[in-house]
Amino acid sequence: MLEHVLNGLYYGSILFMIASGMTIIFGVLGILNLAHGELYALGAFSAFSIIGFVAGQVAAPTGPVTAIVFGVVVLAGSLATAAVLLPVGGALEAAFIRPIYDRDEVYQLLLTYGLLLVLTDVMKFVWGPSPVDLGVFGGINEIPTTELVGIDYPSYNVFVILIGIAVFAWLVWFFDRTKTGRIVRATAINREMSTAIGISTDRMFTLVFAIGAFFAGFGGAMVSIGPGSASLGMGLDWLVLSFVVIVIGGLGSLNGAFVGSMLVGVSSRVVTPYYPQLELAVPFLLMVLVLLLKPEGLYGAWGEIQ
Amino acid sequence: MSRFLVDRDGETHLRLAEGMELTKNQAVLAAVGLVALLIVPDITRFTPLSFTAIHRGILFGLAAVGLNLLLRHTELVSFGHAAFFGVGAYAAAVLASQFDVSSGLLMLLGSVLAATAISVLIGYFVAGYLDIYFALLTLAFNQVLYAFVLQSGYFNYSDGLNVRPDGLNPPALFGLQLSSTGYELVLYYLTVVVLVVSLLVMWKLVNSPFGRALDAIGQNRTRARFVGIPVEKYVWVAFVISGIYGGLAGGLFALLQLHVSPEPTLYAFVSGEILFMAILGGFGTLVGPVIGGVVLVYLLVQAPFYIEYYNALTGLMLLAVVLFLPEGILGSIPKIGTGLSRRRRDPGLLREDVATIGSSLRRGVSRAATTVRIIVFGVN
Repeated sequence: MLEHVLNGLYYGSILFMIASGMTIIFGVLGILNLAHGELYALGAFSAFSIIGFVAGQVAAPTGPVTAIVFGVVVLAGSLATAAVLLPVGGALEAAFIRPIYDRDEVYQLLLTYGLLLVLTDVMKFVWGPSPVDLGVFGGINEIPTTELVGIDYPSYNVFVILIGIAVFAWLVWFFDRTKTGRIVRATAINREMSTAIGISTDRMFTLVFAIGAFFAGFGGAMVSIGPGSASLGMGLDWLVLSFVVIVIGGLGSLNGAFVGSMLVGVSSRVVTPYYPQLELAVPFLLMVLVLLLKPEGLYGAWGEIQ
Repeated sequence: MSRFLVDRDGETHLRLAEGMELTKNQAVLAAVGLVALLIVPDITRFTPLSFTAIHRGILFGLAAVGLNLLLRHTELVSFGHAAFFGVGAYAAAVLASQFDVSSGLLMLLGSVLAATAISVLIGYFVAGYLDIYFALLTLAFNQVLYAFVLQSGYFNYSDGLNVRPDGLNPPALFGLQLSSTGYELVLYYLTVVVLVVSLLVMWKLVNSPFGRALDAIGQNRTRARFVGIPVEKYVWVAFVISGIYGGLAGGLFALLQLHVSPEPTLYAFVSGEILFMAILGGFGTLVGPVIGGVVLVYLLVQAPFYIEYYNALTGLMLLAVVLFLPEGILGSIPKIGTGLSRRRRDPGLLREDVATIGSSLRRGVSRAATTVRIIVFGVN
């Protein structure tokens, strides 16, 4: 049971890194970004190249100490991967999303769906059509963590859970305590008023989109390092799941995205071993339930980041 | 003026029934379209065009016509229309493989009934919601159905069911057991009849008081409620009608493919495709979704045979539609037509066009340079 809960938290942490980007992009820009799953997949593929390169520079771990060095190098690599997504996200926003802020939401969905298709083929062009696996998962698990308290559970999963919490904490700090974060929130609440007091909304939107892309890429790197591999179709499933998460949490709400990810992650991982036929349906049943009982989501906050 | 010709604003209109009128150009276009539909089998025999792909496109287009009722009139974005398409297809498949029904028309009836039932159920839950919540709720119901079918042995998991009642031959149409070529042809003409009748029904419907009420609901729900329109009930009925169109299309799709599996009929991205067909063809028009369906399905089905990066091709086309042709293919024809005829009369306009394109390019480049400068060096 504990293992299933931990698996759920691991799954939820990665889900949060994708869903948090989607929810802040929706909250500030007012756009439901269908291409977000592909940014995540792009992160997973870039991680294969970048982390594969940096991990090749250090020796494979033999004991706990070398394993820690190895782990730090891989973590630095995944941050570098996510950093690659910053300019990518900024460029996408400036070139494609910016012209359609005032248009019907149908067109926004259509445009981001078009971007999704184009990005899929860009990845197919660069990394080829077959899945790629990084294969550093075993090395990181040499670092002892859970063994110290007498449980047998992969150390890497524990790190990802901790990283997920750290990402949440950073986002809350950024939006609550920094000047830039407050400016972003002001822009989300009232675009015209922010323009009037001298804020460049264009630049804020680019920034927010780039941050969203950053965390999607980071989540992608986390999956790529883990036991799974990076494949072309991976973006779609996570995209649909992130929808579910941000709807459960409330569109545009950061706390909601966190609680929603953990709810979806834990419930699906705990239910699956006992009722395998419910695996795909659980998140959607949760979503239907939340929407029918509390349509604005658990932390519903229209167009405001809280 | 005879019974079928009326005069409006100095132009002669062809009048088919109360509220159903065509201008001269529209009547010509409609006749051309009908003839084109009828000779598709002959065209495809003599050209490398794929007959099945066009047939499939028409079926998805029919589903998109149904979706367009919600999109155009009540302004609700349904992201779950694959639910009805898939339910229709599965109803036909279940009748064929589990109950040994051999008549294709009975299967279609089953599709319509199943789609009606499921859209009554889903519509009951979603009719009160708006905007993005409506889209996401329909998507959620769609995914629940998909997950249910995918995990259920009765529907044979992800492998799906065959639509061959005796395990070998296609179902009988009009009591006839046909060879495969004959079956395809008869089914195609059945599709054409169904399509034309559905379009006429939809046309009549949107011009009826009910259709006007839906328009009012789309424009402003509160006001619609104040003038006495039962908003939720009307949205529910519109939802069911649009679901029936989807179910009918799905049933015909099952008869065409003779095999139904969850991925191409029920998956959430099929919903997205149906929505995009409506926009691509022009969701402000009645026939636009059919054209969008044929174009998009043809691209999705045929492009993989010719180029490796077919997703990018579709994606770039969607980007072009959003940025340059927001009214869709059919909706843009009048605008392009007047633009071209103006330029034919006055070639000097072309120089202005070139100047406009040049200056907008220059503006874009300089704006991008400024943004990069600000990101790199900060605000000075």
